[in-house]
Amino acid sequence: MATDVAASGGAIHATELVKTFNGSVRAVRGVTFSVLPGEVYGFLGPNGAGKTTTVSMLTAGLEATSGKATVDGLDVRRQRAEVKRRIGVVFQESTADGDLTGRENLELAAALYGVPRGEVRSRVDNLLERMQIGDAADRLAKTYSGGMRRRLELAAGIVHSPRVLFLDEPTLGLDPQGRAGFWKYVLELRHEHSMTVFVTTHYLDEADGMCNRIAIIDHGVIVASGTPGELKDRLGGDIVSVRPVTWSPSLGSVLEEVPGVTSVGTQDGVYRLKCANGESLVPAIVSACVGAGVGLQSVSLKRPSLDEVFLEFTGHEFREDEGPTATDRAVRVGQVRQRWGARR
Amino acid sequence: MIRETWALTKRELLRLARNPQAIATSLLLPILYLLLFGQGFNLSASLPPQEVQKQLLGSPTYFSYFAAGMTGFVAVTATLFIGANVIFDKLFGILKRIASTPASTASIFGARLIAGSIQPIGLAFLVLGLAIGLGHLGLSGLQVTAAVGPISAFEIVLAIVILSVMFASLFLAIGFSIEQPQTYFAVVNAINLPVLLTSAALYPWGFMPAWLQNIASYNPVTLAVWVIRINLFAGATAAYPHPAWFYLLGLFGWAAAMNLVATVLAWRALGPRH
Repeated sequence: MATDVAASGGAIHATELVKTFNGSVRAVRGVTFSVLPGEVYGFLGPNGAGKTTTVSMLTAGLEATSGKATVDGLDVRRQRAEVKRRIGVVFQESTADGDLTGRENLELAAALYGVPRGEVRSRVDNLLERMQIGDAADRLAKTYSGGMRRRLELAAGIVHSPRVLFLDEPTLGLDPQGRAGFWKYVLELRHEHSMTVFVTTHYLDEADGMCNRIAIIDHGVIVASGTPGELKDRLGGDIVSVRPVTWSPSLGSVLEEVPGVTSVGTQDGVYRLKCANGESLVPAIVSACVGAGVGLQSVSLKRPSLDEVFLEFTGHEFREDEGPTATDRAVRVGQVRQRWGARR
Repeated sequence: MIRETWALTKRELLRLARNPQAIATSLLLPILYLLLFGQGFNLSASLPPQEVQKQLLGSPTYFSYFAAGMTGFVAVTATLFIGANVIFDKLFGILKRIASTPASTASIFGARLIAGSIQPIGLAFLVLGLAIGLGHLGLSGLQVTAAVGPISAFEIVLAIVILSVMFASLFLAIGFSIEQPQTYFAVVNAINLPVLLTSAALYPWGFMPAWLQNIASYNPVTLAVWVIRINLFAGATAAYPHPAWFYLLGLFGWAAAMNLVATVLAWRALGPRH
C-alpha cells in the first residue's frame, strides 16, 4: 500500500525511517507508512515512543539516520526549503512570541512563509477572527490564555495555506473544552483547504474521534495501523476482565468453555475474555466461575477502545511513568519563562 | 530574503522597544562612568599639559581621552545581551519555530546582527554627545581639538559600526553554541572584562606597562578607540605610528573573523539536527 500511495502522489510517505542519537539511542527504528492527501492521520503512542522524532524528520528539522521520507512529493532530505514552504507546523511546546502581539506574530509568520504582501492583512484579520482572538489581536501574546496561545500558534502554522499540516501533541495542557475547540478549527480548516493533517498525540480519545487513520507507535516501531474501526475490530469484540480473589490456573480452561467466548488471555492476575456481546455473557461467565469454585474479586466489561487496541498490540498499558513526559517538559519551559521572563 | 530579514529585524527591535528597563540599564552604565569615573580621574590637576598630552597620545585631557574610550566600551557592553536573547529563544521554542519556516539561515542570523548592532551604535554616539555636552555644564567635557570633516566623521562612524558588529557577532556565536543562560553569562563575563582591561579604552597609554601596551595594540577595542582619538584630537595624528585607516583595517579583520565563526555556529544551530 505504501508504494501505491507514493506513486499516486501521497501527501506523506516514509520508508524505513530510522533515527539513532549518539550512535546508540534508537528513537525510531524503521517506520514505514503513507498518508493520503486530505487525510487526518494520527500517530499514537506514549511519551518516548518516537512520535516527535518522526515529526522532526518529516518537517526537515532533524536528519534521519537512514530511510527516506517525502512530503507532498518532495524529498525531505534534498528539498528542505521547498518542503518547509509547503508545510505548517504546530509544535508541542508553546512557541508564540510573547513579546509580540497576536497580530504581529501572524504578520511575522506570513512574511517568513512568503505570503504575498497584498494578502497579508486580509489573511491575518481573517485568521484572528476565525480563531476568536480578534478582540485580543493587539495585545501581547504573553497575556493570552493557554487556549488562545494554542489557537494563535495554529493560525501561524496555516497562515500560508500549507498543503500538509503537522501537529505535534497540539492539545497538550489544554482543558477538554480547549481541546474540543482546537479540533473544531483544525477540522474546519482541513475541510476548506483540503489540507492533509498529521497529528501526534497520546490522547487515545482524540485519535479515535478525529483521525481517519491511525498508526500506533511504541519504542520507535509501528505496531499497528488502520482506521480506528479496523483496529478495534481486530480485537474481536468486547473484552470481559475477570479478576479472581485468588489466582486459579485452571479457571482459564473453564472460561474457554463458556459459549460465545472466542479467546481467553491473562495479564497481571486478570483473565481477559474476548466475545462478541460481552454484556449478555457476563452472567454465564460468573456462573462458570462459581461452578468452578473460584471466588471473584471483580468482573468488568469494556467495549473496544484504542486503550484496548494499544494493550493488545503492545502487550502493555499506555506508559505514563517513563522519563519526563511532554507535560513535564511543558511545565519546565513555563518555569524557565517565569524565572527569566522578568530579566529580559 | 530582504523581506524575511526585515521582518525578523523588526521583531527584535519591537522586543527591545518594549523593554524600557533594558534600555534604561544600558544607558545608566555609560552615564555613571562619564559622571563619576571620568570626572574624578583628573590627570590635568597633577601633570603639566604637555606631559598629559604625551601620556594620552595627543588627547588634551584625560576626560577627552576617556570619553573616546567609553564609546568603544559601550559598543562591547551593549552587545552582551544579544547572545542571551538567542538562548532564551531556543529555550522558549521560538528559534525552533522560526527555523521551521522557509526563512533562510542568513536572514535569521543577519536580522539578529543588524538589530543587535543598532543599540550599541546608538549608545556610542550618545556617549560622544553627552561627553561634549558635559563641558557646557561646567564639568570636564570632551574637547574636540581636530577639525572634524566628512572623512574624519566617516572614519569615526565606521570604527563604531565595525566594533559593534564584531562584538555582536562574538556574542551571537556564543549564544548559538550554548544552551543555558547561566553558562552564557559566565562565559561572557570571562571574555568581557579581560577584553576591556587589556585595551587602551580607559587606561592612560603612558601609564601602561610595555607588555600591556603590546597586548592592547592588538585589542579590537583599542583599534576602534584609536581611530576615534586620531580623528578627534589634533595632537593624536603624530602620536600614533599608523594612520586611522590602518587601524580600521585591523578592526575589520577582527570583525570578519568573528563574523565567520558566528556564521558557522549559526548555520549549525539552525540547520537540521543530526
